[in-house]
Amino acid sequence: MARKSWMYSVLEAVQYEMRQRKDMVWLFELTPPVASNPGKPVINLEKEFGRIRVNNTGIDEMWYTGAVLGSGLAGVTAVTYIPYQGNGMVFQLLQNHAGKLRHMTGGKAEMPVVFILEMTGQTPGFAGQHSDYEIDTYYAHIPGLRTVIPSNPTDAKGLMVSAIRSRDPVVYLYPAGLRNMVEDVPDTQFETPLDKAAVRTQGSDITIVGSGGSMPEVLKATETLQKQGAKVEAIDLRSLKPMDTETLVKSVQKTKRLLTVDQSYYTLCPGAEVIARVAENVEGARFKRIAFPDAPPPASPEMFLWMRPNADHVVAAAKKLLA
Amino acid sequence: MGTNKQSETVGSTQSTKMGRTTRRGFIKGLAGAGAAITFGASLAKAQGNIGFYAKDLSNDKLAEMFGTMLRIRWFERTMADKMLTEPNYRGYNHFYPGQEAVAVGVCSNLVNKGRLDQVDYVYSTHRPSGHAIAKGVDIKKMAAEYDFRATGLNGGYGAEMHIADPSVGFMGADGMIGPGLVIAAGSAFGIRARGSKQVSVVFGGDGTYATPAFHGALNNAALLKLPFVYILENNLYHQYAHYSYSTPMKDIAEAAKPYGIPGVVVDGQDVIQVYNAMHEAVARARAGEGPTLIEAKTYRYYNHWGAPGAKPGQLGAFGYDPLAITSFRPEREVRAWMARDPIEIFRAALVNWGVMNRAKTDQLEASIKSEARAAFAWADKQPLCKPEDGLKNVFVEGSVAASQLA
Repeated sequence: MARKSWMYSVLEAVQYEMRQRKDMVWLFELTPPVASNPGKPVINLEKEFGRIRVNNTGIDEMWYTGAVLGSGLAGVTAVTYIPYQGNGMVFQLLQNHAGKLRHMTGGKAEMPVVFILEMTGQTPGFAGQHSDYEIDTYYAHIPGLRTVIPSNPTDAKGLMVSAIRSRDPVVYLYPAGLRNMVEDVPDTQFETPLDKAAVRTQGSDITIVGSGGSMPEVLKATETLQKQGAKVEAIDLRSLKPMDTETLVKSVQKTKRLLTVDQSYYTLCPGAEVIARVAENVEGARFKRIAFPDAPPPASPEMFLWMRPNADHVVAAAKKLLA
Repeated sequence: MGTNKQSETVGSTQSTKMGRTTRRGFIKGLAGAGAAITFGASLAKAQGNIGFYAKDLSNDKLAEMFGTMLRIRWFERTMADKMLTEPNYRGYNHFYPGQEAVAVGVCSNLVNKGRLDQVDYVYSTHRPSGHAIAKGVDIKKMAAEYDFRATGLNGGYGAEMHIADPSVGFMGADGMIGPGLVIAAGSAFGIRARGSKQVSVVFGGDGTYATPAFHGALNNAALLKLPFVYILENNLYHQYAHYSYSTPMKDIAEAAKPYGIPGVVVDGQDVIQVYNAMHEAVARARAGEGPTLIEAKTYRYYNHWGAPGAKPGQLGAFGYDPLAITSFRPEREVRAWMARDPIEIFRAALVNWGVMNRAKTDQLEASIKSEARAAFAWADKQPLCKPEDGLKNVFVEGSVAASQLA
């Protein structure tokens, strides 16, 4: 156990798996697989495994995503890191191929592949294409893809291990706004299940559900609400597909109040699916969702920060439900 | 002009330690950008017809072109200095200095005023300042937009990467690599349908060759003989990687051959060479003969993004960019390119041709420098955006419900 950054935790997991699988490949375009951490050796996958296995490509998302899918179909475990600038360009390969091939081939196609889809850091000022947070909704909709989204370095490592070992194609969403998180992460290789939500705090008054980039604000709001006497059950989805309905339903059966929080757009945000599943299974509950409004993120920090859900929004919405 | 100077370019790139055999081999093959440019010029001449069209440019037009290059340079330098010296300044930029001759050589051939069915179009990149200024966008409004002001060119919604001003045919910057190519070719398709004599021009970097849209744009533009010109600004680096990481080709203009269209390599530091090549491409496009691919060999003096390595009052950025883990630009390479500065090359030509004397060029530069300062000073005083306005401009009418947030 040592304090580790997000990327160090992830690359530690990848390095271990690449040492076990002598043909496993990693393709990247913008972000070199390099990480350093105080008191730990530098990880540089390109240096350690060479450019045959760890390949820096041009700005051609179709190529490196296709290369990963093709490698997987050829029996080579493959991972690619798709920067946020390209995370929508590869949609076709994931939606029409990776997600459907096993089913269309009657179970014959095997795809031990991971698509790391970076989401923007939601940095104020970067405008529509470089501040958006929306692909959780898009990719979670696709059948046949496991879609996970860690919200801390520990889950980032455990979910990466499970994703690489999975025989299904995995969309591994990386909310890059959390890149500066540092926490104690086990040195050993461990798996985090690809289909289980995590209950972060237990409570009986209200359930607050978030994922990825919204979790830090959810936890901050939870602390505020708890100080004011509300018993909050905060749930981190971790997996958008499949979604852990059981954990969600159990919680709301107890609290009868459900608030979802997303940085994705309001319409069809992951919270909308959470509410629908709970509504189908729990009688007499109250619901509310907050999300980024149905508008592209504007460049002006004044507009953008006002629109992005934060802990204050969460507290205010929770109070409406608790009233 | 400038042809006799080309041999003195970037020889130092060959002796610089690149650290990677692939890249070293690549550079060796290139034998210095000077040689590439010479080859390029002969390639274009071999195709027969690059004329010295600049012979017909009036002194006023030449002076205006020089002024535009200076306006780009000083807009960018003024902003770089603000970023470096004013801790509260929030604007950012993908700086264009070093490439001014490309934007100005291209846009000087275009119709830059008029209705949407009259003006020529330019689709830009995420490094848009030079293209916008060459097209005639107001630099005061640009400066305000770069600083997220409500009265900026695009109301603070877009900032640097999304400036757009269709009133001068500047159709917009784009933060993505690839889509702009087919969109611009698509405008050429629309122009053909309308029957207007406009031209649609796209700027793209060396990184665009690797995108599927490169093929989509040129294949269809050639097939349909669209009025389309593709300006590939090869500044050697896409983001943080040398272009040898994304293509086995040295001259990307060679890629024009299979489409049966002209592929021209020009010295992107020489505005007249760019002007001449573009003159021919525009004439061809307006005559319904189809697209042209022009590869301008050029260089950016700053790092990919922001101002790492730059110092106030100094042109260019030197030293290691912390984000450039894959390839970083050796200082000697940067300095070698700066030794062939497009502004100085053009200044020397104007003096040599008797268009203006050295003192006149200095006067012009001083006045443009204060124009740039005044633009940023004006921008500083502009109002910030109203938060709730973020819900507007999603559709033609109405705004998004604020209740989605609370």
